[in-house]
Amino acid sequence: MIGCYDFCGHYEWTFEWLRRQGGEDLVRKYWEQAIGGDSQTHAARLIKENGFEGMAEYWTHTLAEEAAGYVATAASDVFRIDMHECPSKGFLLSNGLEQYHDYCDHCMGWIGPVMKEAGFHVNHEHNHCGKCWWEFRKTADQSAGSSVGTLSGASDVRLDAEWASHEAPKDVFEGATSPLERKRITK
Amino acid sequence: MLPYSDTKPVGAADFYFAINATFRFIRETLGAEALIVYWRGLGREYMAPVSQQWKEGGLPAVAEYWRAFFAAEPGAGVEVTLGYEDSLQRLGTDEGTPAKPSKVVLDVHTCPAIHHMRANGRTIDPGFCQHCYYVSAAAGEAAGLTVRVEGGNGSCRQIFFARDAAEKPQIMEHIKEAS
Repeated sequence: MIGCYDFCGHYEWTFEWLRRQGGEDLVRKYWEQAIGGDSQTHAARLIKENGFEGMAEYWTHTLAEEAAGYVATAASDVFRIDMHECPSKGFLLSNGLEQYHDYCDHCMGWIGPVMKEAGFHVNHEHNHCGKCWWEFRKTADQSAGSSVGTLSGASDVRLDAEWASHEAPKDVFEGATSPLERKRITK
Repeated sequence: MLPYSDTKPVGAADFYFAINATFRFIRETLGAEALIVYWRGLGREYMAPVSQQWKEGGLPAVAEYWRAFFAAEPGAGVEVTLGYEDSLQRLGTDEGTPAKPSKVVLDVHTCPAIHHMRANGRTIDPGFCQHCYYVSAAAGEAAGLTVRVEGGNGSCRQIFFARDAAEKPQIMEHIKEAS
């Protein structure tokens, strides 16, 4: 049996297996259809039916279950997550697991299409080292991502000393709903 | 013991949804044969550290692995037993040679994955239980071991033993469709 304790390990291994079978298109199709459209139907339903409150309900449950180190900030027009210790990437890093070239893409791979379907878009940035932030807004709201500290105050992950110090490139998404909308920033 | 460690004692049960969805996606997109190739790949490649433990430690290591594995799977109800062919093996020889087990038996009373998916009203891929055979058989290859699975759909028995002691292949009809 394969289990849920080391799920992130075989999930990440699966990305590379799929890439070898059908390239990056197949990996993205997997994130969108199998994860966003099948595994995470509970998230999709909550977000579609209850908007920002649904996001809070989904992530409160799932990030507690995964033992994430995060702060969620809800406002009337935006839902923000500051992820200080991603449990998923953290598991891979601490166990030295890396088969696929960009594990972090999987989040935008399923969350992006779910948000698009529910009428939202995403401002997001991750540092490939277990830290990221997300802001979800309604599609009609073309506001840019918030400036540092304005939404989540001292909990803003961009104020974390490790956020700036990492040499790994950061991936930035602005008003996005697909991993293809990535902009890569290298030091 | 498990080859990987995490900060939390048990896994997040909702990940069973993703495992199930992954199997369904591969079968529907690439075909049933590809799904078997995927399962075998998981066993041979992803589980290579487990295979190595089994190769070095034999059946006691297999038992130790599955005890640790199911202790970290939320909702699992599983008995892991080292089996002996006869009482002589269990007691050891007159010269005090340690007893040598001939098999490891997993009595899965409550499969944590099937249980969690049912509790959440998920449509379980009918071939879900087959992965236990294909993944474990592939993981056992490098250690000279194989497995037979009987039952499924929530509870089953899995027996690990030396490949050269296998008299018959796994009969796939002995593994129930999941629902």
